[in-house]
Amino acid sequence: MAPQHATATRAPREKPSARRSSRRSRRLERYAPYLFITPLLVIFVGFYLYPALVTVLSSFFRWGLLRPWSPAEPERWNFVGLDNYGQTLTDASFWNATLNTAIWLVVFPLLVAGLSLLVSILIWYLARGGAVFRTMFILPMTISLAATGVIWSLIYNPDPQVGLLNAVLDKLGILGADWNVGPLEVHTGAWLSDPGVLHLGFADLRLTNLALVIPAFWAFTGFGVITLTAGLTSVSYELVEAAKVDGANTWQVARYVLIPALRAPLVVVGVVSVIFALRTFDIVFVMTGGGPAEDTMVLALLLWQQAFAFLDTPQAGLATAIAVLLSVVMIVAAYRYLRQLLTEKPG
Amino acid sequence: MSQRQRRLVTGIILAASVALIATACGGDDGGEAPPPGEASGEIRVVSNWTGSEGEAFQAVIDAFEDANPEVTVKIEQVPFDQTQSLLTQQFAAGSPPDVSVALPGIIRNFAEQDLLLDLSQEWDDWVQDGEYTDVLRQIASADGTAYAVYFKGNVNALVWYSPKQLDQLGIEVPATWDEFTAAMDKAKAEGVAPLAVGGKDGWPLTQWTDPIILRVAGAEAFNQLARGEIGWDDPRIVESFEVFAGLVEEYFPKQTLATGFIDATCARAKDRALFQNQGAFINLIVPAECDEALKPGEDFTFFLMPKFDDAMPDAQFVSGDLFIGARDTENEGATRALLTYLASAEAQEVWAKRGGYVAPNAKVSPEVYPDANDRKAAELWPKSADVPAGYDLDDWMGGEIQVKYKQALAQFVRDTDVEKFIATMTRVDTRAGG
Repeated sequence: MAPQHATATRAPREKPSARRSSRRSRRLERYAPYLFITPLLVIFVGFYLYPALVTVLSSFFRWGLLRPWSPAEPERWNFVGLDNYGQTLTDASFWNATLNTAIWLVVFPLLVAGLSLLVSILIWYLARGGAVFRTMFILPMTISLAATGVIWSLIYNPDPQVGLLNAVLDKLGILGADWNVGPLEVHTGAWLSDPGVLHLGFADLRLTNLALVIPAFWAFTGFGVITLTAGLTSVSYELVEAAKVDGANTWQVARYVLIPALRAPLVVVGVVSVIFALRTFDIVFVMTGGGPAEDTMVLALLLWQQAFAFLDTPQAGLATAIAVLLSVVMIVAAYRYLRQLLTEKPG
Repeated sequence: MSQRQRRLVTGIILAASVALIATACGGDDGGEAPPPGEASGEIRVVSNWTGSEGEAFQAVIDAFEDANPEVTVKIEQVPFDQTQSLLTQQFAAGSPPDVSVALPGIIRNFAEQDLLLDLSQEWDDWVQDGEYTDVLRQIASADGTAYAVYFKGNVNALVWYSPKQLDQLGIEVPATWDEFTAAMDKAKAEGVAPLAVGGKDGWPLTQWTDPIILRVAGAEAFNQLARGEIGWDDPRIVESFEVFAGLVEEYFPKQTLATGFIDATCARAKDRALFQNQGAFINLIVPAECDEALKPGEDFTFFLMPKFDDAMPDAQFVSGDLFIGARDTENEGATRALLTYLASAEAQEVWAKRGGYVAPNAKVSPEVYPDANDRKAAELWPKSADVPAGYDLDDWMGGEIQVKYKQALAQFVRDTDVEKFIATMTRVDTRAGG
């Protein structure tokens, strides 16, 4: 019995070939992740990291797009140190574009997060028809921003026989009305040229920027609705029932149960909206081209203008300086989100 | 970083550097257009005409392909405002279109970088044959070398109106500046908007400032300003903007900056405004974009903006579209053949017959124009070197000054602050040492 027992408990000896194959599979396991990420890494290095590095480096040189700055041609370098940054930071156009971008940065995420929250909670409460409402808000997302700009340019057309908004205001008898409320001046009718100004003392905020934020918000809210509706699916129904048993009304359930559960998705919506607002270009380009004058000029459009429109004065170095400054602001704005992503444990 | 990764990164950097270096290399020198009908291959042409104008240009290209059956021309239409940036991207990337539409500002910039085909030999022949003048050659040149062909001429400062509307309001066609403003005053009193201005598109504002500078400051000051020989604070230029400020305050519509060019054109065509100051191309645009029932010459016509100062000699405000050939073209024969064709009377007659076009080639017969409006506009085209003319100021300057000039004009329409405008332009345009 004893030998039999000994035979039964002794681990079976591995054949040398099996040992080799397991070693190989362990090695493969160790290298597999690297193999899987290699294609993405190549794309990342070639199309993101390298251009980003070249952008940062080229911001210290004077050059134009017709003769692009190249790290491989030191004989053509025109090193200007921090001049591009100095020139950018002392340029009135830069600060005007920064102010307009700041309007986008504050108003756009607030509108997107606010309406998405409201809509997603209402959809959550709806016994039926939720899918219809979700679709309604998501559909504009399928339209390109350039097309959105064209559609809204028609809506804003000053001629009431063409522009829907002015046609409605005309019927209501308030087309061309001027209102002055404290520091706020509002003129109805010229939505893309002079809808009014908010005088802040140290600066005038042109309301034309809001006329551009609204179409972007219309097109982008679907993203917020999807994200928050998905977030709400994780709310336990028992928790809501318990709150109701404790006497919470609909508003209190939303305020103390649903909204706290949406904190993480709200951060996502907020950060993505901030990044969207910072890099706004297409809708402004299509609807006003940054005008009238520089009323709606935003940083991304100013950057484009410096690089592509100012050919006679090589300004691409200034454009890259703006790009670097913009990237720094974006990284700072997205820091919390990025940290959350990077420290998140899998599973 | 492992050896392998290091090699990969080095490879990518090298590949990218090679691509960048390649953009700066290549090309050939000089050459001649092959004999008619002997060019072959495919060429790419960038133009910015759409709608009725796009069809007219296509007709010209079709005629070229008929005459050169071995050549295929691929037209790429790009929006007017984006032409400069798109061309820059394509030239910088080393894949320029063989032939592209261009304005003098961009021609000078590209010529400085040695990106264009030299067309001096062709121009020598054209000037000698009397097809073009030396003045036009200068517009197509940079540093004395011709790099472009003149394809589409245009005369501006044409004040478009409806003869019926003028009759109804009891207004005579104005012959003097005072009659011009009196006509607008009368329209205002009758509840008709005196002017239609599509300021949203930017360039229609320069259609006003150019003829006013030509009339108030004169052709000499106009051309000196264009070439950076005088500053914006020159008293003659300041006075021009004072005159413009008066017009804006009295007659420009409140919605000037909100109204696009086509909307303004159609508002005038539908008699919702008395006058529109624009170029000869309005003759093609009104029936095509507003109402095809409107007949040129009968339902709408124009008078030349009157002189501001009778003592000042006549000076015609002209503009137009030119075409350039890429030095790096892979088919120089077909490229030169098309450029030569575009400059010819034969090609220009194809569009002239369709209307809304002024042929820059002096050999184009006035008979080919389809109606009285086009014939009248073509007569205004400066056919000899002794006619004072000013080429479209902002198109001539191009680049940063052009962009900022249009921005400053939009602001000017809003506040009519001459001092602020002159200060802005003096800061922007430092060519005269301002």
